[in-house]
Parts: sequence; structure tokens; C-alpha cells
Amino acid sequence: MGQKSLAEQAQILLRSRLCNPTFIFTLFSDSPDSNHSKLKFIISSSVTEACNNSVLLLGPRGCGKIAVLELVLDDLLKEYHDLITVIKLNGLLHSDDNCALKEIARQLCVEHQLMFSKMASFDDNSQFMVAMLRECGLAHKTVIFVLDEFDLFAQGKQRLLYSLLDAMQSVTSQAVVVGVSCRLDADQLLEKRVRSRFSHRKLLFLPPSREDLQRLLEHILLLPTDSSLPHDYVADFNAKLLNILAGEKFKEIIETLSNSDLTFNHMLRFLFSAVCYMDLESGFMSLDNFKAALSTIQRQPKLECLKDCSILELYILVCMKRLEVKEPDTYNFNSVMKEYKSIHDSFQTSDYYARNVCLRAFEHLLQCELISVVDNRGLSQSIEFRPVRLLISCHELNQGLKSHRSCPVILQKLVDREG
Amino acid sequence: MVYYKNVEYDGGEFSVGDDVYVKRREDASSDEEDPEVEECRVCLKTGKAVMIECDDCLGGFHLKWSKPPLKEVPEGDWICDYCEAKKLRKNVEVPQPPVGKQRPRTAREKLLSSDLWAAHIESIWKEVDGDYLFRGRWYIIPEETAPGRQPHNLRRELYQTNDFADIEVTYALFCCLFDNLLIGPKKFVVENGTHQMECLIRHCYVMNPKEFAKESNGDDVYLCEYEYDIHWHTFKRIAEIDNCEGDDEEADSDEHWSSCKDSDSETEDTEHEERRRNLVAGQFPTHQLAAVWPFPLFDYVVNSLVAEHVRCHKQTELEKAKATLLLATLPKFLPCRNKEMEEITAFIKGAICDDQCLGRCLYIHGVPGIGKTMSVLAVMRSLRSEVDAGGINRYCFVEINSLKLASPENIYRVIYEALSGHRVSWKKALHLLNERFSNRNKTDREDNRPFLYNILDWPTKPHSRLIVIWIANTMDLPEKLLPRISSRMGIQRLCFGPYNYQQLQKIISSCLKGIDAFEKQAIEFASRKVAAISGDARRALEICRHAAELTDYHNKNSNPNSAPAGRDTSTTSVFHVAIRKDNGQITLELEGWTYLLDNHQVISEDPPDTVQDIINKSNMYGAAAV
Repeated sequence: MGQKSLAEQAQILLRSRLCNPTFIFTLFSDSPDSNHSKLKFIISSSVTEACNNSVLLLGPRGCGKIAVLELVLDDLLKEYHDLITVIKLNGLLHSDDNCALKEIARQLCVEHQLMFSKMASFDDNSQFMVAMLRECGLAHKTVIFVLDEFDLFAQGKQRLLYSLLDAMQSVTSQAVVVGVSCRLDADQLLEKRVRSRFSHRKLLFLPPSREDLQRLLEHILLLPTDSSLPHDYVADFNAKLLNILAGEKFKEIIETLSNSDLTFNHMLRFLFSAVCYMDLESGFMSLDNFKAALSTIQRQPKLECLKDCSILELYILVCMKRLEVKEPDTYNFNSVMKEYKSIHDSFQTSDYYARNVCLRAFEHLLQCELISVVDNRGLSQSIEFRPVRLLISCHELNQGLKSHRSCPVILQKLVDREG
Repeated sequence: MVYYKNVEYDGGEFSVGDDVYVKRREDASSDEEDPEVEECRVCLKTGKAVMIECDDCLGGFHLKWSKPPLKEVPEGDWICDYCEAKKLRKNVEVPQPPVGKQRPRTAREKLLSSDLWAAHIESIWKEVDGDYLFRGRWYIIPEETAPGRQPHNLRRELYQTNDFADIEVTYALFCCLFDNLLIGPKKFVVENGTHQMECLIRHCYVMNPKEFAKESNGDDVYLCEYEYDIHWHTFKRIAEIDNCEGDDEEADSDEHWSSCKDSDSETEDTEHEERRRNLVAGQFPTHQLAAVWPFPLFDYVVNSLVAEHVRCHKQTELEKAKATLLLATLPKFLPCRNKEMEEITAFIKGAICDDQCLGRCLYIHGVPGIGKTMSVLAVMRSLRSEVDAGGINRYCFVEINSLKLASPENIYRVIYEALSGHRVSWKKALHLLNERFSNRNKTDREDNRPFLYNILDWPTKPHSRLIVIWIANTMDLPEKLLPRISSRMGIQRLCFGPYNYQQLQKIISSCLKGIDAFEKQAIEFASRKVAAISGDARRALEICRHAAELTDYHNKNSNPNSAPAGRDTSTTSVFHVAIRKDNGQITLELEGWTYLLDNHQVISEDPPDTVQDIINKSNMYGAAAV
């Protein structure tokens, strides 16, 4: 009983760590080469030295751009507290210049205990923003504009970016514009007059490298020695875990994982499910946990769908596979039936079903979205006459047939011959 | 406690909602009596003759003393001879009262020299012991606010505060003791406590701007437009300005918006310059100040942290360089544009001095960041000083940035507001401007015409006296416009070429004069690179700043304990990194990368495989995005 609760405690600890981006990215905050310290330097120098900057944080989704930014802002807010005003905009919500300016004015009003007038026009709001920037600059307060989904702000005439950056150039202000985008060419989207005013600081966020990943895994999964958990349990747990992490098998798992996607988000999701699979009886993580997690994270719904198909449905799929080669995009249910008949005739298979049964199976496949109609024209036609196509690849079909529990040998042979 | 609507006390009647003077200091009452009527500044007598008030010093004058003598009070502002003389830096002798006799001061003068207070009565009641008390809301004079008197404050301006005090109507003995605590701005020792004060003296009248404008006589009349927050040191406008009118107009202007979109997208800044011969100083748009959004003024007490950084921290050369390279702190004028500026000056001067200026338009074009707007503004500044010196005629200068307009039609509104100070809807403004520039009444469908046409049409009218200077990025904008518009645009054009590397080098070195942070080759390298790409001065300065920043970052991280020894120079190597980052060709093309890598001889900050990695990832990402 005692052991079990220990395991539960450990599991809760690990899960809470995995859900806390602050914990994860503090690992990288110390080294001078990390984005964290660079970003912090840029923003804090703007706070203390009264200068303007504009930074772009670029990188694929799930690489911790926002998480690092939040971490930096938290630190700075702790340090300077009332010297910083953070204005957050999202390109998905405020890509329209008018409403973005209104939102800026609103947030500025909230920050400085002012009355916000909803009636204010675009001119008023932009005047207000410029006036506020000047006032904040004079009072040595820094305004940080965080523009999430920055590429969406770069649509149209970019009046918002222009007026923001122009104000930063022309009046004594202390402002930082932080653009966050997953388009690596976000700054190329800017108009030339906006680009000329942009100060071109760029931080690139990349998926973790091998070494970083190793450090990250240890950082997350090793239990802390100074916690409430008993010392020998922690020592055992950590020893076993290190053993697993060093093993070849585990490296293979990581390899397969990184083949598809090696961003922080993906990695954390994988680790989370691995932690959830942890055996509460023994209280330790095992390699099987990671394997199970890998298979859950790499689910392939089509193959699973194939697993549940009846034999007739498999026949239909194989027929369609053959037809795909002969007459792509033009065959329909009738031609599939012809093909089915010819297979039956040439190989004298035992499973031959009536046409209406086949139609039912065909409709079921349509429902499963393993196959689909080619176009939406001719809605009035009945389903037998509409051209269809396969939605699964040859490779998937092959795999599905192999893993199917009662697939006829003839089908596999047919597919193999084709492949 | 019994509450009253109004109370009669000491011969005066005070009711809730009134504004009253409250006596402030014991020694201030050395003036024996409070004269209701002010003395004339010239003859030092009151008398029955009509007196006029100077709008500058607020002194009273008999009509007969003004030069030439006035028969009746004139319309508009009147400035006394003394103030007039002071403005012209002449020495004048103001009549002094005889020695020993202090000139009696009116309550208004005492209030404005903070010897009296004014308060708004919120409620009056009678305590159980029979004392009358009222709750007053203080007014504050601009001098007592945290930022002090601002240039836009009027002489008779007061601020309403959010500070209340309970004041005894009757005279209280310990007022002196309390008064000693009153130093500087009205800071109250006890919040919301009962302050027993001296008696209130008499009524004054505090009004909002509209009422104030109507009210012309009476000495105890004040203007109060803003509320002052004594804790936050912020100002809030009491009455909101009515902005919704403009919004409605914008809503139904959508069709025009779309119809002239093309032409608008090309124009970056449009500058209007308009001259008026008979411009009198009094006609300058004074309303502009009032139309500014009610923004807060922060406490200008320099923050401890910033103060510490600025005062105690001895800036290194690099930090100085960073500060001077900031685009916002750049001098208003940079070298290397003398030829263009001469041309602009010649153009404007020619237009102003020439009596017949018909169709005067100048089209200035060039890529961003090469000092187009800056040169025009510099020319206007130098002309302004010439105007002040009396060399050329007066004119009125309006600057419009079309990217900051909500819709093209707003341009009429902005022009009209800048010229007259009134805010009207754009249709009205267009009508008024048409009347003004072309001396005719509204003709057919003028508000349906594209705004470019209208604006370019005005200079062609006789007596319009309008000059238009266009600033744009595109070289061939006139060719893209409708023929009727481009024919009105004239052929006078001025091309700003991109800076070449010597010019950029000169600009950077002129900014960094006296700061020994950059090696000479470094500056040359940066300017050559930028000149090769765009010739954009902003870019060049930004790159230098970035390089300084990188070096600074490097220094601070490598030896955090020991102060950077001696002179730290942004070496050329850092420049390579900076330029590479700045150009930031993290694009999908591999070619661009290798080109940059070859070209900039990048120090192997990123090992090559990382670069390859970036390209792979970006390719992957690009594929995913597709």
C-alpha cells in the first residue's frame, strides 16, 4: 500500500512537470546561447536603456516560442513590475487594423486605469496609441507588444505595423514589438516601408538537438532527491530510468519518434502517455511503457479501420486497387463488381456474395472513408454509377491485409503481385 | 447631523454645488480686505470706468490707457502693452505701487499664486455641536500638479481633484496649526478625516470650456476641463469629446474607399503646404490642443531604477553607441542630402514669393529610409525660422501621412482641422475646402470624385495659394494614375537616390562622433553591405546598433564579474554575424544561404550542419504548410 501511494505520488509529480512549460524551459534559461537569455537581454536592455526594438520569434509550431516568451515576461515583470506594460494581440483575432488598434487602446486603458471609449474611431485610437507611447517613454515605462501569429498581421496594407513601428521611430518611446510566427520568412512578408522601420532581431526556435533532448529527458523524468519521496525509492527509480534511457531500444524509440515530429510539444505528449502507462504495482518506469506510448502516439486510424473490415470488404478494396492501375478515377461500383467476378472466376474462391450484399459492403467502406466518390457532381446518380477512388495507399493496404486476422491468402498474393 | 441644501453664513449664501474660495494661510490674510474689484495696472485706481483684462497677464486696465485708446471692449483676445512689449523683448516699466503700500490683490490673484484654495461644495451639514461643516472637493492650480504648469494651460485653468475634505464653515482656532502641515501640493495627513479650516470667503465660478467661452466678464471665473488624480498624477478629461460623428460618416464612405484604393496604396506620405498671407497670430489653431485625446500624464519623477542606471552607471562606449544609434534619438537632420534640400527649398520659396502660384506640385520619390520625409521637414524648419525672421511670407504647413488615415476621405477632415481647428465631417470639410480654395459653391458630384483629383485640382485654381508636395515610394505613380489626375500633378519631380556607401559611412560616423566603439573598417563594411542591398540609412544604423548589442551581450556574458576592460570595439567579425542575421535569409532557397555564407564569410558560429538543419526544417515546414 505504501509503495503504491509512492508510485502515485511520483506519477503525479511527473505529470505536473510535463504540463508545466515553465519547468521545462527553465532548463535552457541559463546558457548564454539560448533564446531565452537572448530575448531577455533584448527586452531588459530596452527597459533599462530606454530603446526601441523589434524582435521576431520564428520556428515551427510546438517549439516553445510562446513558452519562452512567457517565461521571459514573467521574469521581467517580477524584476521591474510597474515599468512594463504588456499588450498582447493575436493575428487570428486582430488581423484587421481597425480592431487591432482598438484592442491596443483598450489594453492600454486597462493598464493605466483609463476610461476606454468604444466609440473612438481609428484616428482617435492611433493618436491615442502614439500619445501613450510618448507618455510611457517620458515616464520610462516600457510597452511590450506581443503579436502572435505575426504573419497574419502582414496582410493587406500593414497599417497597424506601419503606425506602430513609425511611432517607435519618431517619438521618444520605449517599446518592444515581439512578433511570433511559424513562418520562417515572416519578415519577407513585410512591405518595404515597414521592413525599413523594423529592427530585424530574429530568434530562431528549433526542435531540440540530440544532446538537448537527452538533457531534457533527464530533467523531466528523474525524480528530485530532495522531495518528500523516500530517498531509496528515488534512487532506485532514477537508476532504473537512467538504465532505460541509455539503452539501445530506447534510442530506437526516440529515433522513430523523431522521424515523424520532434518538437517539444510532441515529445511531451509522448512522455505524458508513457508516464500514464507507468506500472503502479512496481512503481517504476519500464521500457514497455515507452513502447506502449509510442504505439498510442503513432496511431494509424486507417489500419485500425482495415482490421475491422469483413472479408468481402477486403475483396472490394483489392479489386479497387487493381482497377486503380487500369482505369484511375473512372471506375465505379459496377466495374468493381466486374473485377470481383473475374477474380472469383479465375481463382475459384469460396467467398462469393450476391450483388446487393456487395453493395452494402461498398457503402460501409464509403462510410469508413476508406474509399470515396471522386467528385460531387451527379448527385442524382445512384451510388453504383458514381466514380470512386481509394483513400488508402498500397502500402497501407498491404500492411492491413497482413495484420488482418482472417485474410484469405489469395488476396495477399494478388496484392503482392501488384506491388 | 442635519444636511442642508444651502446655508446662509456671514452675509453670503452657500449651497451645494457652488464653488467657493477657501482661505489658505494665516499670513496671506495680511491684505486687510479682499477687494471685489481690481485696480487698474496703469493708474492703480479702481474707479467706475470700464476695465479690460489682458489675456496674457490677467491684469486689469482702463480702456483709456490702451494705445490707441479703446472706446469699448474689443471682440476676441486683447493683450496689454506691457505683455506685447515683453514679447518683443523690450524693457518696459510697469507702474509700481508706492513703497510701503502693498497692492491689494484680488482673490483670483491669490488663488493663482496658491495663497487661496478653491473647492466645490458637495454637501453641507450641521454637526451636533452646532458647527456648520461642508464637504469640499478641491480644485488645484496647474502649478501644484506633479508635472507643473504646462504650456497648454490657460491662465485661468484649474483642475478638479479627486480629493475631498470636510471643512468647517465657521472660523476654527487651530487652523494655523493645520496650515503648517500644508506644504507643496495638497497632501492631507488624514485621509477623509475632518479638516477644520478657516472660513470660506466667497463664491467663485468654475466652468467647463463651453460655458467659459460664453462667460466673458467677472474676475472669479475659472476654466476647469480636466480632473486630476492626486494619487496617480494623471489627468482625465471631465467631459468626453464627441467623436461619434466622424464614425458615422466613415461608415457610408465605403464605396469611395474601394474606388480609389489603387491610387492610395502608392502614396506613402502626402504633405500639404498651404500658405495664407493674412495669417494673424491669433488665428492659429488653438483648438488643436483641446482636441487631443485625454491622455494621462504620468508622474515624471524619474524612476529609481532608470535613475540609477542613467546616473550611477557609467556607460561604456558600446552603450553610448547603442543609445546614439537609436532611430528615435537621431538628430533631426543627417548629412548628404544638401542638393535635394536646396531643390525643395527653391521650389517652396519660389512658390511662396511668386504671386501667381498655379498648379504647384512636387512629387518626391525614392525607396524607404533614404531621408525623403526628413529632408522635407528639415526644409520646413529652416523656412519657419526664416518666416520668424521676417524674410518670407507666412504660410501654414500641414503634414499628412496617408497610411495613418482611416479612409481616404478623412484627408479632407484632417486638412480642414489643421487649417481651422474645427472638427467636422469629411463631406462638410470638403465643401468648406472647396469654397476656400476655388471660390465657388458646391458643384456637381464633387464628393464622388477621387480625393486625389480634388487635392490636385485645388492648386490649379486661381487664388488657391496651395502647394502640394507628394512623397511616395513608387517612381511611376503619376503614370499609373488616371490621365486627368496625372495631368494635374505637373511634371516637377525630385528623385531621391539610395545612399551610396560613402554617404552611409558619413552618416554613421556623424552619428557616432566622439564615441570610440567601432572600428573604421567595421563601419565601412556595414555601409558597403547596406549600400549593395538597399541603401537604406535606417537599416545601416540598425545593423550597427545590432552589432553593438551583440558585442555588449557577448561581453556581459563572458565576463560578468569584471567590467569590460578599456575600449571594447565592435569587431568586424561581429558585424558579419549581425549582417547575416539582419538579412536573415532563412528562406527556403539553399542558394541564398550559400551566397550569404560565401559573401559574408560567416564565422562558424553555427556549425554547418545546423544551417543544413535549418534548411531541412524549413523545407519540411514549407511542405507541411502547403
